[in-house]
Amino acid sequence: MQRFLDPEVLASISSLDLLAKTVVDGFVAGLHRSPDFGFSQEFAEYRAYTPGDDLRHVDWNLFARTERCYLKRYRGETNSQLTILLDASNSMQYTSGPPAKMDYARYIAASLFYLAIHSQRDAAGLIVFDDEVRDYIRPSTRPGQLARLFASLERAEPRARTDFAKPLRHFQNFLHRRGIAIMISDFYENPETIIDTVAPLHFHGHEVVLFHILDPQEIRPALKTSSILFDMETDQKFEVVPEYVKTTYREKVDAHIEELRSRALGAGIDYQLIVTNQPLDLALREYLTLRQAGN
Amino acid sequence: MGFLAPWFLGGLAALGVPVFVHLLRKHVTIPRPVSSLMFFERGTQSSTRHRRLRYLLLFGLRFALVLLVVLAFANPFVRRAAAGANDQILLIVLDDSFSMRAGTRFADAKQQALATLAAKPAAQKAQVVALGGDLEAVTQPIADGAQLRTALESIQPGDGHASFGELVRYVRTMSENVRAPIDLHLFSDMQHSAIPANFADLVLPQYVRLILHSVAQGAAPPNWTVESVSAPAELSDPKDPKRSHVEAVIAGFGTPAATKTISLLVNGKVIASRKIDIPANGRATVEFAPLNVDYGLNRCQVRIEGGDAFPADDVSVFSVRRSDPERVLFVHNQGENRSPIYFSAALDAAAHASFVLQSVAAEQSTDLDPSRFAFVVLSDTMTLPAIFEHALSAYVAKGGSVLIALGTSATRQPQIPLWGGGTREAHDYARSGNPASVGQVDFSYPALAQAQPGSDNGGWAEVKVLYAVPVDPAGARIAARLADGTPLLLEKQIGEGRILLFISGLDNLTNDLPLHPLFVAFVDRTARYLSGTEQLSGSRLVDSYVQLRAAASTLGAAGSVEVVDPDGHRPLSLSDARTAQSLRLERAGFYQIHFANGRDALIGVNPDRRESDLQPIPSDLLALWSGSSTGSPQRATGPTSGQTQSHIVSFWWYLMLLALLAALAQTAIASGYLGTQREEV
Repeated sequence: MQRFLDPEVLASISSLDLLAKTVVDGFVAGLHRSPDFGFSQEFAEYRAYTPGDDLRHVDWNLFARTERCYLKRYRGETNSQLTILLDASNSMQYTSGPPAKMDYARYIAASLFYLAIHSQRDAAGLIVFDDEVRDYIRPSTRPGQLARLFASLERAEPRARTDFAKPLRHFQNFLHRRGIAIMISDFYENPETIIDTVAPLHFHGHEVVLFHILDPQEIRPALKTSSILFDMETDQKFEVVPEYVKTTYREKVDAHIEELRSRALGAGIDYQLIVTNQPLDLALREYLTLRQAGN
Repeated sequence: MGFLAPWFLGGLAALGVPVFVHLLRKHVTIPRPVSSLMFFERGTQSSTRHRRLRYLLLFGLRFALVLLVVLAFANPFVRRAAAGANDQILLIVLDDSFSMRAGTRFADAKQQALATLAAKPAAQKAQVVALGGDLEAVTQPIADGAQLRTALESIQPGDGHASFGELVRYVRTMSENVRAPIDLHLFSDMQHSAIPANFADLVLPQYVRLILHSVAQGAAPPNWTVESVSAPAELSDPKDPKRSHVEAVIAGFGTPAATKTISLLVNGKVIASRKIDIPANGRATVEFAPLNVDYGLNRCQVRIEGGDAFPADDVSVFSVRRSDPERVLFVHNQGENRSPIYFSAALDAAAHASFVLQSVAAEQSTDLDPSRFAFVVLSDTMTLPAIFEHALSAYVAKGGSVLIALGTSATRQPQIPLWGGGTREAHDYARSGNPASVGQVDFSYPALAQAQPGSDNGGWAEVKVLYAVPVDPAGARIAARLADGTPLLLEKQIGEGRILLFISGLDNLTNDLPLHPLFVAFVDRTARYLSGTEQLSGSRLVDSYVQLRAAASTLGAAGSVEVVDPDGHRPLSLSDARTAQSLRLERAGFYQIHFANGRDALIGVNPDRRESDLQPIPSDLLALWSGSSTGSPQRATGPTSGQTQSHIVSFWWYLMLLALLAALAQTAIASGYLGTQREEV
């Protein structure tokens, strides 16, 4: 089933719905576990009844024995809320070969949405941003939510440039309920700025994950001759020689990734570097791990 | 070394283009997109150094291409010593024309030429050329002094007319062949009449140096000459006042008014003398009548008595042939009497000819011998007695002439007697009401000759042809055509003789030619042409030609020709006597010719009278001529200076070839680089 998670194979699937189903089913089958994992009526805890609680969840057997009113809670009922923050800036459309970073981010988001809504009965929402919030789908489990999310993903064409500070000020307004916030971006920004921007979400109780999407050529670029490079976001261009790319550039990129990882972990934020030639199961596994830890 | 077009060297500024392209200008590459430049740094300087090293070969080729093209346009050259004195060709031209007989001109010229020849270096090649009526290369370019001297001494004064235009044409041809500098020494009296009408014909090639040696000292001496003589070549009746007289024009060149005695000599005897007053530098006419000559060929001359500076031109010779009127056989159809009347009347009215017409019907011609007649006329007679037709064929083959006229009966028989071809469908212009006119007339044809035809086509334009029988013109000379292109008058050579075919009749039914005065002249000229008496006597100019036998005659089919020149020599060898078609009359005097058809001729030959005008070429014109080849004034006469000339060798062509190779090489290399760039992008 690994081949169904191969990005190059996925790039040939045009429908996000089909793509997500393929990925998730393939991923779940690879776990050698039931597809209904986590959805059993497994007992989780008792909680004292408080006025306003639904009387349907009261354990009447326990009340008969002890005359105390407790609510019986099951693991399956502790639904989480997944919000994906998708960077749709121009830099996300870079590619050295299919899929582009933006497409790869869409695959991840679609797969996570499918996994969350279909398999985990979680609410899922989407915030598309570049230098401002371009699209917002409120987290929900309502029927048709998945379609709305996929449609929003389809609309999310890269444009403008990334500015974490400006849109993230609004994120807190959208994310009232605690849940999992996954930010998918290439993070071409100062790591300190990124963490400073994202950290408030964690402080509000969100489980925050940074999916750092990079193209293989961005980590280990190959430049045979000196060439003129231009920035896809700023349109700035200058000439670069191969010697620099082979040495200093790689060091700078590695240092950037490492700093982002260390600062994220320091702030209690999960960080995951995803290269676009890797299978998508890495991102899905990260989500399930977080969800289990959250429960 | 130098440049023929040095201003093109300004194009060297274009060398900056490859320098700019390869060393200064950044290469145009397609920018590569990246997500962010935040981890990149500029590296321009090292990039430039890298490219310069990489494209050095291409740069070198482009630089060389521009340089070679600019140099090729600047046209570099080197001066190479063209030839030493020994490589130059000494061309000695000795004028042996008729005017060189005056005084000691020829002897002086030959002496100077010998001196020039003696002064040449032993190894230098020289050529001797005689410039007379016909330019003759006496030797090839050789270095043998003795042979050259012998050749030079063998040249004797001639009677021809010199032409410097012909000399220049010869030198041009020689210059193209030998491709060496030529020193042209011309020994001549520099007669003004020898230069061509157009001075451009005198311009010599670039590497020919002209040195003029004039042997005419001072002004031209006064000279009287017999400029022209008008006398009958044929005479049948000495008492005929219209024809029996001689008219001579005496001209003076640079002469004062004088009274001269002019004598007419016949066979060496003075038969008449006249005194005439000749105006200064002018002309006078003298007439002798009657011309009383004996039967046969008579040697006549008009002579100026008393002599002058150039006595050789004081005599003009001509011959007169006295005979009984010749008979002409006119064969016509029974009952058709118009054509003999018209033809006879025209023949009698002719001023020059002396013929008697014998008219017979075709049916009565059986026993006639055509050889007894000067020529035969077949007037619309398509059917002849077989015996007579056979006799006519033999007559023509031996040199006889026949005039055939086609009338209304021509279409009854498919074949034209003697002609060898059939008739086509007759053109009856009268029936259509639109008579044909004569469109084209060859006035160089003897039977139609006219000096100045005029706007009415020599009178032929007014002739209306009502009926004509076209024939196949294959193998025939067409002398006249109708307006619709139909050949009207044709001539065909058969054996030694000739047949003249007139495709209309000689009466006034098929055309109105007999009603025009032109008919008399036409019959007169045709009769003289067909009888052949024109070339048996009279006078010619030196260097004119006499036709010895018909062009169509084959070797051995006719007898040999015998020619005796004025000196009593036979200029034709035995083989030439059997094969020669024509003879050039080189000498002045009387030529006796026995033709292949058995006829004897006596022809008086006179020099071209332009040779009698001894006026030399003006000195400024001579200076212009001698300077035309080198661009420098005339040099002092004398032996060849032996100066070494240099000639320019330009090698722009080689530069352009190298430029082409460089262009091809740079194209190949540049396309290779271009392919690499695309791969990178």
